Amino acid sequence: MTMFAYLGPDMPHDLFAASGRCGGAVGWIIDRATPDADRWLESKFPLWTRSVLQDWADGALDHLEAVVFTRADDSAQRLYYYVCELRANGTIQGPEPLMLDIAKAGRASSLARTVASLRALQGRLGVDDAALEAGIAATNAVRAAQAAAMDEAAPLCLIAGTPAPDDRLRAMVRAAGWAAAGQSLTELWADLGQPVEQGSSDPVLAVARNLVASAQGPRAFVDRGAGLVAQAQALKARAVVLWLPEEEEALGWHLPVQIAALTLAGLPHLVLTRRDGAGRDGVDAEIAAFLQGVAA
Amino acid sequence: MSAAEKTAAAPSGQRSRKLLACTAEANAYQKAFGIELRRRVVEEGEPFAIVQADTPHEIFHVMDIPIITNQWWSAYISAKQLSNRYFDVMVEKGYPKNSCKYCSLGLACTLANDPSTAPWGGLPTPTVLVARMTCDCIQHVFGQWAQAMGTEFFAMEAPAWEHKDPQWFAKSRGDWENVYDADRIAMMVAEMRDLITLLENRTGRKFDEAKLHHLMERINEQEGYIWEAAQAIGNARPCPVSIAEQMPNTMIPQWHRGSDWAVAHAKKFRDQVMERIASGAGAAANEKIRLMWIGAGVWHDPGFYQALEEKLGAVFVWSMYMPFAGPAYLRDVQGRPMDALASRVCSMNEVLHLPPWMNGWMVSEAERCGIDACVVLLPPDNRLSQSGTKITAAALEAAGVPVLMIDADMVDAKNWDHAKMVGMVDSFLHQRGVA
Repeated sequence: MTMFAYLGPDMPHDLFAASGRCGGAVGWIIDRATPDADRWLESKFPLWTRSVLQDWADGALDHLEAVVFTRADDSAQRLYYYVCELRANGTIQGPEPLMLDIAKAGRASSLARTVASLRALQGRLGVDDAALEAGIAATNAVRAAQAAAMDEAAPLCLIAGTPAPDDRLRAMVRAAGWAAAGQSLTELWADLGQPVEQGSSDPVLAVARNLVASAQGPRAFVDRGAGLVAQAQALKARAVVLWLPEEEEALGWHLPVQIAALTLAGLPHLVLTRRDGAGRDGVDAEIAAFLQGVAA
Repeated sequence: MSAAEKTAAAPSGQRSRKLLACTAEANAYQKAFGIELRRRVVEEGEPFAIVQADTPHEIFHVMDIPIITNQWWSAYISAKQLSNRYFDVMVEKGYPKNSCKYCSLGLACTLANDPSTAPWGGLPTPTVLVARMTCDCIQHVFGQWAQAMGTEFFAMEAPAWEHKDPQWFAKSRGDWENVYDADRIAMMVAEMRDLITLLENRTGRKFDEAKLHHLMERINEQEGYIWEAAQAIGNARPCPVSIAEQMPNTMIPQWHRGSDWAVAHAKKFRDQVMERIASGAGAAANEKIRLMWIGAGVWHDPGFYQALEEKLGAVFVWSMYMPFAGPAYLRDVQGRPMDALASRVCSMNEVLHLPPWMNGWMVSEAERCGIDACVVLLPPDNRLSQSGTKITAAALEAAGVPVLMIDADMVDAKNWDHAKMVGMVDSFLHQRGVA
C-alpha cells in the first residue's frame, strides 16, 4: 500500500507509525458547497462528512490508496457504507474504504473483535509484530514529548462538547481576548492517547486494549461530567463553552450531568446547543459576551 | 396532566379502519398481555428486562423472563398521549430539544418521576436493560436509563459488516453464515452467552438450549405464515389488507414469537388474507395506486395510511414489517440454534438502514409488489432512521418508482399534522403523474 489516511476516533497510531505510510486524517473544508454529497447524505450527517464525500466524488482523494474508517464514531462508520455503495455502483471512484471495527462494550468478546480487526489491518498494511513493537516505542516517545509540551500551555477558556470542525471556535475565543483550549475533531482523532504497553508478547493486543479503553470518541463509556471538570481544572480554565451542533447525537445526552458538574465546581459555562456546525449563527458574539461577563 | 395540557398535546392523528377479524383479536391479546405483564412485573415483582426490539428476545422467552420492549413501551406511552409532556420534561432537565426521540421516551418517563401520571405508575427496577449499539445515542440513553433505575445496562455490539451482498434477502434463510459473516455471528453468540450467565445469576432461572431450538422452529413456522401472506399480498390485485392491518398482525405476534398464540395467530392472519384474496376483496373499493411506506410506523396517526384510499384509490400495500418476516426471521436452524439466532439479530437494524442491504431489498420489494410510488419517512433528529433513505430513494427512482420524502418523527406527534401530511402525499401523486 502506498499512502493511506483515516477518518474517525480511536485510531491505532502506533500501527500507522509502524507502517510509515499514514498521511493523517482526511481533511475537509466545511464551508464549501457539497452538491453531490448532499444528494446522498441525510440531514443528520455532520458537515465534515459532506466535504469528505464531495472530495471523494471530485477525485481529490485519488492520491490515496485507502482510507481507514472506525466504528467508534457513528458518522464515520455510516460514511464507510455509503462510500462502499457509491464505489460499488460506479458513482464515485477513489481510494478503497477499509473498516477498523473498534468494539467498546468492555467485555472479552469486544476486545477479541478489536484484536481481530486490528490484525486484519496489520496484515493489510504489511506490518509485522516486530515493526509494530518498534512503532509502539516510537509513538510512546512522541506521547511523552507531547505531554511535556501540553504542561506549558495556559489556556483560559475550554471549548468542550462536540469537537469543532477546525480552529474557528478557538479563534472566536481568542478574538475575545482569551486563550483557547479544546481539540478540534482532527486533533482529537490524531491524539495519541495513553501510552501503549511495550515489550508485551502481543503488541496487537496491547494496542487493542488501549483503543477499547480510550475515552476519545462518542462511544466511550466514561463519566463525562467528572471528566469535563477534571479537564478544565487541569488546564486551569476559568470558563467553559459547551458547543453542540444540530447534527450532534451522542454528547447531548451528557449535557445535564456536565452542566451540574461545572456548576458544582464553580466554573462559569456557556451552553450552546443545536448550533450551526460551521459557526455562522452569531456564536462569536455570544462567546464574546459570555467571556466579557466572566472577566467582569 | 391538566385539561389545558391535554388540549395542547392533542394529536391530529386519526384511527385506522380495520377489515380483518384477527386484527381486533391481536389488539385484544396485546391489551391482555399488557395487563398480565403489569401483574407479573409490578404486582408480583418478577424479574424482568427492558430490551430494544433488535435484541435476542428469544433468550428471555426461553428463560420465561418477562421483557418490556422499549419500542412497545414507547408506543404505550404515546397511546396515553404522554409523549409531548415527557419530551418537555427532558428539555426542562437540560437535554437538547433535538435529542433523538425514537428510543428515549421510556427514559423520559423514568426521569419525569411522576407515578401519578406514568403508565403503570412507572416501572419497577428491571434486572437488566439490553440494547445493541447501532447508533451513537442508544448507549447513552440506555446507560442513563439503567442508572436512573438503579440497575445494569448490558450493551451488545453492532459489529461492522464487511461482506456486502445486495441480494442478502434471497439467501438469509439457509446461507446465513455467509450472508452475515461467521465472525460476527460468533461474536454475538459469545455476547448472548454472557447475557445468559448474567440472567441466570440474577434471576435463578435457567437457560435450556434445547428449548431454544424448539422455539426457533416454532418461530420459523410463525414467520413462514406471515411471509406466505406477504408474498400473496404482493401478487394480489387489489391489495387485500392495508399496512394499517399488516403491521399489528405481524408485530404483535412477533413480540410473542414462537408462542402457541403467536403461531396460531400468524396462521389465522394468513388464512384471512388468503380468503380476501380468493374473494377479490380489496383494502380500498377501487384500488388504482399501490404505495410503499419506508420507515417506522407513524403510531400516532394510523389513519394516515388509509386517508387517500377513497379519494384516489391510493393504497399503502407495503411497509417493512410484514415482508421483513421472511428474510429477517426465517432461519434454517442447522442444529445450531444459538448461531441461527445470532444471525437473525446481528444485522436486524443494519439491513433496514444501510446500503447496500436497504436499497437492494427495497427496490426488489417494490418490483415484487408492483409499487407505483413510495413515501419515505425522514425523522429530523435521528441519523439512524434517516440513514440510507436518500440512496434508497435514488435507487427506487432509477427503477421507475417516484419517491416522496417527508420530514416527520414516528413518535413525536408535535410536528405531525394529519391533514397537511395527507395533502402532501395527494399533491405528490398528482405532480408525479401517478394520480
